[in-house]
Amino acid sequence: MALIAIIDDDLDILDASGLVLKSKGHDVITATNPNDGYKIVVEKKPNLIILDVMMDEPDDGFYLAQKFRKEGIKIPILMYTSVSKAIGLDFDKSEMVPVDDFVEKPISPEELVEKVDNLLHQKEVK
Amino acid sequence: MINNKANILIVDDEKGLRLGTKRLLEEEGYDVATAENGEEGIKLGTSKEFDVAVIDLKMPDIDGLDVLKEIKNVHPNTVCFIATAYASYDTAILATRIGAYGYIPKPFTPEEFCYQIEQGIKQRKLILDSERLKKEREENLFELASEKSRLNAIIKSINEGVLVINKNNEVVYYNYSALKFLNLPDLKIGENITGKLPDKICAIIQKIFSKEKILLKSYTVQTEVGANNELIVEAACTPVPQPDGTLAGVVITLGNITEFKKIEIIKSQFVSMVAHELKAPLAAIQGFLNIILNVSLNIDKEKEKDYLKRSVSRLKSLTDLVNDLLDISRMEIKTKQRELEDVMLADVVNSTLQFLELEAKKKNLTIEKQFEGNIPSIKADLNEITRMVTNLLSNACKYNVENGKIIISISVLQNYLQLVVKDTGVGLKAEEKTKLFSEFYRAKNERTRGISGTGLGLSIVKRIVDSYHGSINVESEYGVGTSFTIKLPINQN
Repeated sequence: MALIAIIDDDLDILDASGLVLKSKGHDVITATNPNDGYKIVVEKKPNLIILDVMMDEPDDGFYLAQKFRKEGIKIPILMYTSVSKAIGLDFDKSEMVPVDDFVEKPISPEELVEKVDNLLHQKEVK
Repeated sequence: MINNKANILIVDDEKGLRLGTKRLLEEEGYDVATAENGEEGIKLGTSKEFDVAVIDLKMPDIDGLDVLKEIKNVHPNTVCFIATAYASYDTAILATRIGAYGYIPKPFTPEEFCYQIEQGIKQRKLILDSERLKKEREENLFELASEKSRLNAIIKSINEGVLVINKNNEVVYYNYSALKFLNLPDLKIGENITGKLPDKICAIIQKIFSKEKILLKSYTVQTEVGANNELIVEAACTPVPQPDGTLAGVVITLGNITEFKKIEIIKSQFVSMVAHELKAPLAAIQGFLNIILNVSLNIDKEKEKDYLKRSVSRLKSLTDLVNDLLDISRMEIKTKQRELEDVMLADVVNSTLQFLELEAKKKNLTIEKQFEGNIPSIKADLNEITRMVTNLLSNACKYNVENGKIIISISVLQNYLQLVVKDTGVGLKAEEKTKLFSEFYRAKNERTRGISGTGLGLSIVKRIVDSYHGSINVESEYGVGTSFTIKLPINQN
């Protein structure tokens, strides 16, 4: 099973997502801001990062993802968004946004598990 | 004259002829004046404009031609006849050259004379008519010229930029606003504009020129102008047709929409923030409920209860947020009529403190009141003042530390009522202070984590204070505490 880092400023989301992933046998580490998130990723080198876009600033998650990629951290990133449609930003898998998948909050446990499994599996294939 | 009697001047040194013609013409219905010599003739003929003058050529004092000259000099429209017994071809030509209309050889029959006078009067009418027409035309031309310059002045001075170009892309007309909005130092009439206009505007102009049929409609485009794109301009390009329907050129009107764009950005930011703030608790609640409902996850009762409790708390914050949003929109559209009454600020503070008692006890907060005596009431809407005080005091509780202190003071400062709420709470970092009153801003640091709020409380306070022409200031030290000072004008009338 895998080590998954969840970076989100919403404690309830951290808890709920963490519980679902733990139930599938994954280990979960969490952070509630970009700085702590960066630290746990660098220190613990998880197999997957789940990253919220909007934390202290509306695009914190976005910048953190870019920082990881610039520093050569290639861990797959699943990005949590909640208002992509409202802001008019239709995120897509592109070079501009260096993440591997997007998921719109709220997310059902099944969907979360499926997305996480897909990304972990992809990595193995590579 | 014209509709009245015609004025006729007879200048002749021969008394019999003078009187005879006078009587004759008066019988015909004319007004007649006579002069018995050249000098008197000049005097009369120049002092008043006669319709017709009949001047004898040979007079003892002054020659008839000189009299004619003098009269014509002053009144060029007086129709003059030269009458003479010494008619010669040469004098006739000379007289005509000086300005005589006709030549009456003496002696003459009354019929001949009357006929000549009638012709003279006809001529006089023609002259007057043409004078009138000339004057009218001059007046029209003047009006036209001043109309043109007035129109020019109007177009030059309007705020919108106006630029007219012909089919060869040459400048035909522009005003100063156009230069400003196109960020051009100067333009010359006749100069080729290609390359000087923003690309988007050029594209539209070319589109209009390339159309075979002229569609009389405007094409609008928004474009950024200037070195740092600091100016956003909306350009409306409209084809200008010739009288025959072919295309003459394009008129471009330019408006500054920079401020609108800024407001649009603020608005869409606000909408996205509202959406985020509304969706965050929904996502959390849905996450919890999904887990509870998911049989395979099989969570224990205690965890389930915890999740339900947390869902309820998120729902409450969601309700608070919706209420705050409604308050803000009410303040903005001002549908609610304010109910002004005498409000005692101290009373409002006291009743608000009762509501917060429980929360204050939980943290074991000490509340100190420093109310000056003889505090006047203010004319205000009680609901608004209560809202203002509640938001401030609940913040002072929420962001306070365990066993902390809240000091509330009310005093009179000249014409203002001053309310100071000071807490011993988490305090603000310098960069947080400036953003404090903006919507959805919440100071986020390690000390505020876990404190819930809508991010609208202080922005509502500021809106209320502003609406009463008051002021709000904040002093704060990170980790030490924050103090809000509100000043409201005392309006005793």
